[in-house]
Amino acid sequence: MSTSADAGVQYDVGAALSSGDPAHHAAYDFLMAEAQVLDDHDLEQWLDLLCEDVTYRVPVRVTTARGSACDVLGDASHLDEDRYSLGKRIERLRTEHAWAEDPPSRTRHFVTNVRCFATDSPDLLAVTSYLLLFRSRGDARPPDLISGVRSDVLRAQPAGGYRLLRRVVIMDESVLRSQNLAVFL
Amino acid sequence: MTDHDDIITSVRSGILPAHIYNDADLFAAERESVFAKNWLFLAHESEVPDRGDYVVRQQLGDSFIVSRDESGEIRVMFNMCLHRGMQVCRAEIGNTSHFRCPYHGWTYKNDGALVGVPFFKEAYGGEDELRRSDHSLLPAPAMEIVNGLVFVCLDPDAPPFSSRLGEFRDYLDFYTRPGPDGVEVRGPQRWRLPANWKIGAENFAGDTYHTPHTHLSVSEIGLMSDAKGGKRKGGTMYFAGGGGGATFPLAPGDLPSRLGVIGYTDEMIKRRAETWPVTISALIGKDGQIPSAATIFPNLSFLHLWARVSESQIVPFTTMRLWQPVSEQETEVVSWFVVDKAADEEFKRASYKAYQMCFGPSGMFEQDDMENWSSITRVAGGTMARRLQLNNRMGLRTDDSTIAEPLTNFSGPGAAYGGFGEFNQRRWFDLWCRDLESGPIDTKKTTSYPTSEGDDREHER
Ligand code: FES
Ligand SMILES: [Fe+2]
Repeated sequence: MSTSADAGVQYDVGAALSSGDPAHHAAYDFLMAEAQVLDDHDLEQWLDLLCEDVTYRVPVRVTTARGSACDVLGDASHLDEDRYSLGKRIERLRTEHAWAEDPPSRTRHFVTNVRCFATDSPDLLAVTSYLLLFRSRGDARPPDLISGVRSDVLRAQPAGGYRLLRRVVIMDESVLRSQNLAVFL
Repeated sequence: MTDHDDIITSVRSGILPAHIYNDADLFAAERESVFAKNWLFLAHESEVPDRGDYVVRQQLGDSFIVSRDESGEIRVMFNMCLHRGMQVCRAEIGNTSHFRCPYHGWTYKNDGALVGVPFFKEAYGGEDELRRSDHSLLPAPAMEIVNGLVFVCLDPDAPPFSSRLGEFRDYLDFYTRPGPDGVEVRGPQRWRLPANWKIGAENFAGDTYHTPHTHLSVSEIGLMSDAKGGKRKGGTMYFAGGGGGATFPLAPGDLPSRLGVIGYTDEMIKRRAETWPVTISALIGKDGQIPSAATIFPNLSFLHLWARVSESQIVPFTTMRLWQPVSEQETEVVSWFVVDKAADEEFKRASYKAYQMCFGPSGMFEQDDMENWSSITRVAGGTMARRLQLNNRMGLRTDDSTIAEPLTNFSGPGAAYGGFGEFNQRRWFDLWCRDLESGPIDTKKTTSYPTSEGDDREHER
């Protein structure tokens, strides 16, 4: 058996910031703007929200007995991306032959339960949020719903604002009820 | 004689009634006549490396526990309590010495033996009256392990897997025996596709015709770096025994150089050359053809390809997937990453990345296939689809002769063709017709667990 905790970026997370904290506001604004960019299919602009050294991971979730150490697979994921592969995916979607998203899905990223944490690095902000993605294709087929929690790390930019340095999305389903994952979470 | 004689006759002539991709009656027949009689893949040994490890896998309505027992043996047990039928294991992966049924607490060892019955004496009169050895979890009627792949058959009288597989075995070794240590698998990813299971299975068996069109976007972005791989048009399709597949043409060279170009290290190439059957080494080294997609009838497919995982690195990968039917219009795809066990961690990591960029629900190839297949299934359920006949005759003239001759210089096992043609889909459907025609197995024979000679015991005193 090969389940293990997700390694991810190393940083120490401090206490949760109050929702009145300016850093919390900044993180919240970032996530709201990002959701709109994704739902507008403005994927080039989405790439601009990512750090050059971004990592983006959606591990495989499994059903394990209560008390098991872990319920995500450490060595298998639906997405395990860097800037190069995310760029390639978007380049493909921009061709005229990416049938998976032609016609494009209508998506809505509902991002809630935002919590923000200081880290031991002054320019890194840890942010968790819940995601509910509604995705409709065609006319009357049942829509896809993907529910999960995001663990993000945002990095402050010298010119102001934040970019996404790391995202791990833990989905709430072990079997994806979606014909493909041609959209970003 | 079956209810489906008209369909069978039509399919054998190369004409597919469109509704076969979404037909509840036919699906019920497939369950009994195809899935209950063929060897089905459940898991790979590397998924349960240690004693007590288990995974739970489904095939149609049946749930099986695949475990490694305390003596290190692989066991496949039907996941249903002998008392009142509760699933004794509800996790999909884990490690345990025992499975305790949540309903009334019967407890089984991880080899299936019943060891604990609450209030055994008071409720059942103890071992004299209820032999626990007669109440083991039901083993799979037949099981075989090949290259670490665990197959079961629900028909205990079925021919052995090796005879069903026949000459395809060499291709199976290409995918799953890259060295004496074999492969390990990761995953699986599972997702629900609103499509009939047959579409994926026959596509992987040899639909090379869809590749240049469906997957055009992938070559447009240079994911496979086609310049090195040559044109798909130069590939072949072969069918050998219980399975068939396609090969992809490689640039001029020999076995080491051709495998080197797609990202194998010298050490990995040497191991393959020493382990693969000579047919496979010749297919690649002499013919310049490398197996790409393939299907073992009915629903297990394989794929080997390569991808550019960064500007400077091309890496090969292997995947294996089940088209596991849920209904006539839904399939759970179960997709594993497969890798040379002896490869170094860096190769495994990069190869996983290549796999994920190309296949699985997020894969840039697979995304587009899924869109197509769900669309076919949706429209195949209507009334018009009952009138539509789909053409499965590519490569045949009206008199049934082939437009091109079979290849005479093909080093792999089986009959092979170049160019385009639905040779493999027709062979795959021949096997499907064979099973539908011969009808269901007698499940009475197979549902009883072994009973001892104690049947004449008095039931009541
Ligand atoms: S159903 Fe399992 S103990 Fe009763
Ligand atoms: Fe395809």
